Amino acid sequence: MTAPTLTKDLTAPATAATGRPPQPAATRRLPAVARSGARRAGRGIWASGAIVLFLLLWELGPTYLATASTRVFLPPLHEVLRALGSLIAKGQLQNHLAASLTRSASGFGIAVVFAVALGLLVAWYRSLDRFLNPLLEVFRNTAALALLPVFTLLLGIGETSKISIVAYAAFFPVLLNTIAGVRTVDPLLVRAARSLGLSNFRLFLKVILPSAVPTIFTGIRMAGTSSILVLIAAEMVGAKAGLGYLIVNAQSSFLIPDMYAGILTVSLLGLLVNYLLVAVERHFSRWRTAVGSQSN
Amino acid sequence: MTRGAGPTPKISLRNVGKQFTVRPSKDQPEGSTLTALEGITLDVAAGEFITLVGPSGSGKTTLLDLLAGLTRPDAGQVLVDGKEVTGPGRDRAVVFQQYALFPWRTAAANVAFGLEGTGSDGRRLSRRERADKARHYLELVGLSGFEDRYPHELSGGMKQRVAIARSLAYEPDVLLMDEPFAALDAQTREQLQEELLRIWRSTGKTIIFITHGIDEAVYLGQRVAVLSSRPGRLKQIVDIDLGERSGDRDVRSDAVFIEHRHKVWSLLHDEVRKAQEAGHAKIRPDGSAPDEAPQLSKRQPSKGQLSKGRAA
Ligand SMILES: Nc1ncnc2c1ncn2[C@@H]1O[C@H](COP(=O)(O)OP(=O)(O)OP(=O)(O)O)[C@@H](O)[C@H]1O
Ligand SMILES: [Mg+2]
Repeated sequence: MTAPTLTKDLTAPATAATGRPPQPAATRRLPAVARSGARRAGRGIWASGAIVLFLLLWELGPTYLATASTRVFLPPLHEVLRALGSLIAKGQLQNHLAASLTRSASGFGIAVVFAVALGLLVAWYRSLDRFLNPLLEVFRNTAALALLPVFTLLLGIGETSKISIVAYAAFFPVLLNTIAGVRTVDPLLVRAARSLGLSNFRLFLKVILPSAVPTIFTGIRMAGTSSILVLIAAEMVGAKAGLGYLIVNAQSSFLIPDMYAGILTVSLLGLLVNYLLVAVERHFSRWRTAVGSQSN
Repeated sequence: MTRGAGPTPKISLRNVGKQFTVRPSKDQPEGSTLTALEGITLDVAAGEFITLVGPSGSGKTTLLDLLAGLTRPDAGQVLVDGKEVTGPGRDRAVVFQQYALFPWRTAAANVAFGLEGTGSDGRRLSRRERADKARHYLELVGLSGFEDRYPHELSGGMKQRVAIARSLAYEPDVLLMDEPFAALDAQTREQLQEELLRIWRSTGKTIIFITHGIDEAVYLGQRVAVLSSRPGRLKQIVDIDLGERSGDRDVRSDAVFIEHRHKVWSLLHDEVRKAQEAGHAKIRPDGSAPDEAPQLSKRQPSKGQLSKGRAA
């Protein structure tokens, strides 16, 4: 299954670009491909340009533009990288990273399991939806961080409270997307499956679930991002390890380059997680990509 | 009117009626009932190809749903092989107008979809057997080599072929087709009509084929059943005899064809006019349900097809 899909993925953009117009002259195709390739390369340079400029500014700005006192609070990039290097060498960064990852992965995992299960139930049983929906709306619109004190009071400052708040924050995007995914199943497909004699259970398994999967994964991706966000905040408030703790602790111990090293790690982690989840999401919505461009 | 060919007809509709409750609207806060079908009596012999025409909203899809077992009649009986239809069954398969392929499945996996449960003999096919069958039926509809394509990588005509292959792979006795070729261009449609006839001749299935196109109805059907405008009643059944269809002769320009075509056209034309008039009248004198435009446009997105079909 994986091998053909992989090649398909590679060819998909090309066919989408050239195969869509019904009467593309053969001569038109080549320049179109070349043009889109050049445009993509140009886009790449343009997109990384901002990052490069930013890093340059970070490196040179504090040295040449800022006053000496500001420089202490905003060290140039190379000092931050050096701090990062020594944190890695001492194994501290790995410890903090492992602590954060364990917490967010557990919270996130718990949230995904329960949110998907509840979402499927709510979407399938209308009456359950009518019953739960108002309450879910209230919770959904309560910012997770606003509840942080409550979690800390009830569950202490240990792992339980952190994992719980991550789970809470990750729960709602997955839940809502699961419900939406099941709801938006094409009724025609349901009719088709029924006409082929599928029972309720198999209909759910073979039609409703697969067609909801892309939407569910959109929710999971959103949950991944917010679970890291909330975790860092929670670790800043009360923890003895973790990236959030590293940042706050470095700040209060006046280890400013360490603080920036922590921040840098957080943003890299966020990027990585998002990238991975986007890739997973794309993998599961492969079949959907071209549906939007179809005529019907 | 009916042609009782065998001892028991394959399909038998006995005084079938179907009503829908119309949801409350501004005009009618209480809601009302709408009679979609009324007093339909029709026998279809095994192996027969019957086409069904009628104005938009005359209940053709409703009738097909009843035959498929997707809904139950409010009056009368729907019998297949003399047994009352209580739900979808292995003996019937539907081809829908909008293909209804599962977009996350390849062509072959779509065709194999109906084969994944336990079969009529209580046996479950192995993965290998399913794949073989899928390949066989894709070949039958002229799609060998497209097994691994996803629906979005297929043209409209190919998608409809896959849908037909899926229904055939289910190996039903009866094929129920709801305007299967309506969304296709004229050439593809003609090609698929040809292939459907070929498949019908080689497999001997009973086919009930709904269409908006009079040409299509006359060309494909051994009989054409004309439904009246709402409430749908069987207005008339026209027997079609086009003689031998051999060689490259263009049957459509034969005098017999044109004659049949005209007959169906005039039957239908009256009904379309009536349907239009009913559509404008708010409440009909006999107290029957007025036409509710929103419902009409909701169920079938393509409304302009009847006029298009006639122009073609
Ligand atoms: N689920 C439903 N609820 C209420 N009314 C319905 C429902 N399904 C069909 N109807 C009504 O029944 C009538 C017949 O509908 P049906 O879809 O069978 O028409 P049709 O002959 O297939 O039309 P078309 O040619 O446009 O496809 C229509 O007036 C429609 O509004
Ligand atoms: Mg219809």
